[in-house]
Amino acid sequence: MMTAKEKEVIQAIEEQELFTFAQYDPEAAERTGYSDYSYWRSTIRVFLRNKTAVFLLILMTSLVAFTFIQPYLPGQKDPIKIHIDPNTGLQLRNHPPDKEFWFGTNSIGQDLWARLWSGTRTSLLIAIIVGIWEIVFGTFVGAIWGYVRPLEAFLTEAYNVISNIPTTIILMLIAYILRPSFQTMIIAMCATGWLGMARFVRNQIVIIRDREYNLASRCLGTPTGRIIVKNLLPYLVSVMVMRVALSIPGTIGWEVFLTYIGLGLPLNIPSLGNLLNEGRRVMMAPALRYQLFFPAVVLSVITVSFYVLGNAFADASDPRNHF
Amino acid sequence: MLKYSLRRLLHSLVTLFMVLTLVFLLMRLLPVEGYYGERADKLTPAQKEAILRKMGLLDPWYVQLRNFYLQLLRGDLGVSVIYRANVPVKEILAAKIPYSVAFGLGALVLSLVAGLAMGIHMAQNKGLFWDKFWTWYVVFINAVPGAVYLLFIQLYGTSITGLPMLFDRYNVRSWILPLVSMSLSGIAANAMWLRRFMVDELNKDYIRLARAKGMSSRAIMVKHVLRNAFVPLANYLPASILFTISGSIYVESLYSIPGMGGLLVTAISRQDNPLVQALVLIYSSLGILGLFLGDVLMAILDPRIRLEKQGGAR
Amino acid sequence: MMSETCIKTQSTNMNTGVNQGINPAVADGALEAEQKAKKAEVILELKNVRVQFKGKGRKPIVAVNDVSFQVYKGETLGLVGETGSGKTSIGRAIVRINETAAGEILFKGRRINGVIPKELDREVTRKIQMIFQDPMASLNERAKVDYIVSEGLYNIGGFKDEAERRAKVEKALLEVGLLPEFASRFPHEFSGGQRQRIGIARALIMEPEFIIADEPISSLDVSIRAQVLNLLLDLQKKKGLTYLFISHDLSVVRFIADRVAVMYKGRLVELADTEELFHSPLHPYTRALLSAIPVPDPRIEKKKKVLVYDPSCHDYSKDPPRWVEIKKGHFVLANNAEIDQYLAKIDAGGLANEFLWLQ
Repeated sequence: MMTAKEKEVIQAIEEQELFTFAQYDPEAAERTGYSDYSYWRSTIRVFLRNKTAVFLLILMTSLVAFTFIQPYLPGQKDPIKIHIDPNTGLQLRNHPPDKEFWFGTNSIGQDLWARLWSGTRTSLLIAIIVGIWEIVFGTFVGAIWGYVRPLEAFLTEAYNVISNIPTTIILMLIAYILRPSFQTMIIAMCATGWLGMARFVRNQIVIIRDREYNLASRCLGTPTGRIIVKNLLPYLVSVMVMRVALSIPGTIGWEVFLTYIGLGLPLNIPSLGNLLNEGRRVMMAPALRYQLFFPAVVLSVITVSFYVLGNAFADASDPRNHF
Repeated sequence: MLKYSLRRLLHSLVTLFMVLTLVFLLMRLLPVEGYYGERADKLTPAQKEAILRKMGLLDPWYVQLRNFYLQLLRGDLGVSVIYRANVPVKEILAAKIPYSVAFGLGALVLSLVAGLAMGIHMAQNKGLFWDKFWTWYVVFINAVPGAVYLLFIQLYGTSITGLPMLFDRYNVRSWILPLVSMSLSGIAANAMWLRRFMVDELNKDYIRLARAKGMSSRAIMVKHVLRNAFVPLANYLPASILFTISGSIYVESLYSIPGMGGLLVTAISRQDNPLVQALVLIYSSLGILGLFLGDVLMAILDPRIRLEKQGGAR
Repeated sequence: MMSETCIKTQSTNMNTGVNQGINPAVADGALEAEQKAKKAEVILELKNVRVQFKGKGRKPIVAVNDVSFQVYKGETLGLVGETGSGKTSIGRAIVRINETAAGEILFKGRRINGVIPKELDREVTRKIQMIFQDPMASLNERAKVDYIVSEGLYNIGGFKDEAERRAKVEKALLEVGLLPEFASRFPHEFSGGQRQRIGIARALIMEPEFIIADEPISSLDVSIRAQVLNLLLDLQKKKGLTYLFISHDLSVVRFIADRVAVMYKGRLVELADTEELFHSPLHPYTRALLSAIPVPDPRIEKKKKVLVYDPSCHDYSKDPPRWVEIKKGHFVLANNAEIDQYLAKIDAGGLANEFLWLQ
């Protein structure tokens, strides 16, 4: 409380002294709320700060590039050609790594180096196709699920039913019904992979669908399709990139799993799963462990790299980390 | 509470019904070779047809569907045709489930204890060496397929420690490696989840207030953070417990444990259709039951959910 | 005072006007004609509108309850109320983002809520536009200004070719005082005031007749609020626009609005010409609101008595309140006993002194 004296003093002060007008500065007023913040620039900046991620990005880019140009390089061998030992006329079995066969040969005399890159190519191809399908179909379903309200209850129910059956079982059943082949592998994984993406996109859309700019679009009579494409999807691009990066190790893992239980690709198509399986058969002989070791290392490097890249990108694309 | 549980139960039953139907329809797509038993090549077309007819597979689909439901209501899971010919599926399962559950529960406890300890350790050292170290562990386990690291654990785990490579139920030492192998991914998941939860939670105002009041860090951890952490945990614990029944495909096959893990694989690779169908049904039902129990348990623990879902808040 | 029959037949009684000048708000044909003659044409009319949302339980949450009012062409109607009073829900019901649970919304005499023909839908989409509260949230951050401003044109097919669309965007930007070259930029490059002007341009390009301004300046920096208000007034003068100006700031409403409606918990409690409302508020809630307006003079501010509105001062248990026109153009929510009280006050003419500092 003020004392009587204080009150007196205040009363005595002239009115002008009680309040002074603040200088009005139109420039400053215009600048409130202004920022030169750019989403993508900040995302890239934050991503580049993560040295591990940058290293892995370079590593993966070169590895993927190498995988796809390797067959056209000079001196490369055919991954399914069975090499014959000129001295004995028999298959060049389990030949340890040397100058001729960099990673050795397998139990029927095929060049492991060529098989490894061919297998990586196959596995990455499957992963990329499945990843793209996951984005396209998962986003499509997720967008409808999140934005078209009359369908929301139905899709939620459908999701509950399908997601109650473990992925392992769906994958195995489809692979079992269709018989092993490259297409089967892709169909099986496409049938399950989009579920997670759809739910993810749906949750994101539920978060942003009631933001004011979407209301504005509805006021302007913008059709639902264009609202999804113009107002919602651009906000999801970053999370989609992340999901694809994360789905690559996932798909490779499933491929290994299906191969392990005998529902993988036919043996004449090398893949990381097939190579790993071949290696597993001879692993009890320490001298032959290189056949397990090389595929395991390449597979681990690829899966860990994409996993880390996906997470690093997720962190970088989160606006909360931009300041 | 009861009302919510009943509603949730009804919901689960509807889902279960739809899943059962879906499985039934999927099963009709399976190659019929899976019904003939061992002598498939020697059978004449007429004999094959007789087998199918006997199993009711040539009836119209709605009759089949009705029989399917009736059979399930009686608790009849059918009879294996190839894996162990003419043995009821229930008998096969009864011999295998104990092993899977024993290992599953052991691994679950291990992954909870070790995972939560790791998570707390990470949160307390946020941004420091140990946080990064354990994060790499989590990344590795999450990214690399189990088939790869489990293989190396068996390979080098046995040669370095001298532990037995194959499972022997009377040798306790042979339990160690499978148990550890099985819990690795659970540890990673628990640790990562608890770390994230704690980091979020420790930034909240009520923790700051507790700190300002002079509460010790230990008391804050125990009384506030961990206590709240157990609510989401309760949501998925029932499902995890139930799923121990299904066993671990990789680990059981690597160490030759006679559990459930390999059964589905074997059934599929040997095309034993009735066995496949029974297993798929069991796994799907376990999933639905687990979700149901998780939701009810969570509602008991977290009054907010109960009120929200009951609609009593307003 | 008012006969029982008058209460029961609120909206159909033909001669309510006789009864000491008390008219039910929902005007019948004769009254409408009378008003048309005196004032401008009614562009928008709400009749007993109710908006409700699905609550957490079975009971819906009623955001707008039995609201009726008219908006005349060319005027600015201010709609004030506290947060959660339902004023935004009314605005959104008019632009048909919120569905109405009951009642009618008429635009130029045609019903626009519920299911309406496609061609009317197009017309209404064009002619009723909305300006949003938060310019930070109401612009799509991932689209260029060019798209944001011309979004509505795409929907109504409002241009023949790309050149015409560009010309229209340019014109709209100039009208709100922005440079045409801003079209190629993204929203984050603009300040709050500029963004709000982009929002206004987006509405203007549709050549609307009726604009709902939902707290258009409350999230702007105080120093640029006047700019945006003046821009709105200028545009109104130039284009003959009609505004429904939603705000919680009475001083702003007094500055911009011709008439003011006061809302409390989903119901309108009072509606009158701005000066009338500020000079002789009747409803205790309005009076409480007015008494809370800060006065830029510490000596008066200090002595000022702030009234607190207590809804329990009404005894509506036996005698429910109605929306009545208690004096020409002055509506209030009251029951019979209160009507008598208010009429007595009006007769005594002694209301004006209470809020002297506002004069």
